[in-house]
Amino acid sequence: MKKWAKSNIGFFFIIPWLIGFLIFKLYPFGSSLVYSFTDYNLFKGIKETGLMNYIAVFEKRQYREALIITFKYAFMTVPLKLVVALFVAYILNFKLKGVNLFRTAYYIPSILGGSVAISVLWRALFKDDGLIQQMIRMLGGNPPSFMTDPNWALFIICLLRVWQFGSTMVIFLAALKGVPEDLYEAASLDGAGKWRQFFSITIPLITPVIFYNLITQLVQAFQEFNGPFIITNGGPRGKTTLMSILIYNAAFQKYDMGLASAMAWVLFVILVFFTAISFWSQKHWVYYADEE
Amino acid sequence: MKMKKIVGFGIASVMALTMAMGFTAAAADYEECTLKFAWWGGDSRHEVTQQAVNAFMEKYPGINVEVNFGAWSDWESARALEFQSGTAADVNQINLSWIDEFDSNGDVFLDLNTVSDTLDLTQWDEAYLDMMKDQTGQLAGVPVSMTGRVFYWDKTTFDEAGLEVPTSLAELREAGKVFQEKLGDDYYPLALGEFDRMILMTFYLQAKYEKPILADGTVNMTVEELQDGLDFIMSLEADHVIPSIVTIDGDAAASLDQNPKFIDGKYAGILEWDSAPKKYMSALSEGRELVVGDEFTDFGENGKTGVFTKVSLGFAISTTSEHPKEAAMLINYLCNDPEGVAIMASERGIPESKAAYAVLEEAGSLDPVIAEAHSKVMAASEYPEVPVFESNDLKGSEGTYRYVFGGLSYDEFDTEEGAEELYNGMVDACEG
Repeated sequence: MKKWAKSNIGFFFIIPWLIGFLIFKLYPFGSSLVYSFTDYNLFKGIKETGLMNYIAVFEKRQYREALIITFKYAFMTVPLKLVVALFVAYILNFKLKGVNLFRTAYYIPSILGGSVAISVLWRALFKDDGLIQQMIRMLGGNPPSFMTDPNWALFIICLLRVWQFGSTMVIFLAALKGVPEDLYEAASLDGAGKWRQFFSITIPLITPVIFYNLITQLVQAFQEFNGPFIITNGGPRGKTTLMSILIYNAAFQKYDMGLASAMAWVLFVILVFFTAISFWSQKHWVYYADEE
Repeated sequence: MKMKKIVGFGIASVMALTMAMGFTAAAADYEECTLKFAWWGGDSRHEVTQQAVNAFMEKYPGINVEVNFGAWSDWESARALEFQSGTAADVNQINLSWIDEFDSNGDVFLDLNTVSDTLDLTQWDEAYLDMMKDQTGQLAGVPVSMTGRVFYWDKTTFDEAGLEVPTSLAELREAGKVFQEKLGDDYYPLALGEFDRMILMTFYLQAKYEKPILADGTVNMTVEELQDGLDFIMSLEADHVIPSIVTIDGDAAASLDQNPKFIDGKYAGILEWDSAPKKYMSALSEGRELVVGDEFTDFGENGKTGVFTKVSLGFAISTTSEHPKEAAMLINYLCNDPEGVAIMASERGIPESKAAYAVLEEAGSLDPVIAEAHSKVMAASEYPEVPVFESNDLKGSEGTYRYVFGGLSYDEFDTEEGAEELYNGMVDACEG
């Protein structure tokens, strides 16, 4: 008994986390799957069971559109954010004067970015006659209506997400610092320029970190809620309505937990699919130093 | 030694005070307890309600009231979760539609007849109390006030345009042209969001066709009649009477009272609840004057207004409350006790409690603007509002009203298609 306890002591240390995980994650996760096959309403209970929620998700125009918009959002923000974060990390990896100040400054949006206040500020910046429109007019331009033009509205909520590149940048920065200096020196001696060094040494050596950032950003993008909810609330005319907003509305405005659960599961399956593809693809482009 | 004496004296004093409070409570026939009280509203409502709660706690030592208040935005969903999870406040300010939505089985709100020895229900007309009954016949709440929509005009802007505030639809249409010519394209005599448009359209249809839009649990207008209503609303947009939904969306304001164009008088009119003018008055920039307008009588041929009224809001006690008697005492204090009524005044509209009305009238403390708005609404009222009119399927952010009126304004479809959508949406909502 004593031996068993000793060999499993680590298990006891994680019991608090485990209890939280079982109650607040696994149980809702499992029960939402059950609810997704019912018409469970918070105040009216369950009257019907079946596939009706899943059929509605794929049949109703509103839900199909939200799926497409969620895809657009994810596939615009994730690559953009990775590129911007890597670019800034690359610059900040040079030995520049006051580089720590710049690193802090670029990281700040990540601390603030998800907050309600920043979303409100974003709305004030991009509204009609807001600061951005006024600046464009001052420069002689004819600004679009960012809040009512569907394409621009989607762009500004993507922009907020891309602006929060600080965390991703810090991870890239750590990876860049891990690239051995002697590789660059050898490449220089062989006549490789900065660009060649970047694409032939830096990128291949940090592919595990790119892969990690890709997965985490993909998951976060598909689950994005705060920014679009506060800035546009899904408007104009539902053109920035992500699946997360529809899930929220179904659950907390219509109290239709069955439908909300079904939408959440559809989103989950999509995420699993893309994550699986990413993992499958890594053998073609991710380089691990300890691999044979 | 001296220190011991001081400590001993302190402990004795605290004990004596605690016992005295206990005796006071016992003598007054209530339990010492902590109540939770939740309401939504604007700043002025929060201020007076907190004052009233403090006065209540002074009057009934031993009862501690914890308050939870905020703006309407997302208030309903947060409270809904509390009702469902059994963690709701003891006393809740409620919307009439909540009774149907959350309390259909009568298990969320306490039957107030069970506390009628504490809460004086005789102060309300039986007809108004009947409106607050749930489907099981229990009295789910008491109505604080009745309300309806009325026009409020920014008189300052109308003065700038050289116009009197409109008293008829014809004058309003004329004002649209004058505003555009004299003040500019940014100026409109009236601003209406999607739900406001639905209300004005309902006034128009009910006045013109002389029947309620919803009756006997179904839609009481034909698709063609609804299309006529939508054409009417779109004609106001075309005549520069109201800004388009596209324009209002572009303003990116959370609500009209937070819209700089309203604050600065560019949107010079609103159609609002008679109990709500204060937040709009306080939002206006300095020097601007908001006045109560008349209900229009020229929508149809027979001078009808089409105006409908409803219970503005009520107070209810959660069935989960461990202190229903003390909760009832709080409601009674706020609605019937002269002291509480004097503080609450007309912040939630003109009170329906006879005792409250008498107190405020005698003291001359009925807010003159709210009183004027209320008297105009009640005088013009022709129909009661059916709760489904404000159901989430119709009024919510993904609801039919937003879809139809927004779609017309964004030119996504015409009024014929819009009328079909509106009709079908209303039928679905009626069928639950």
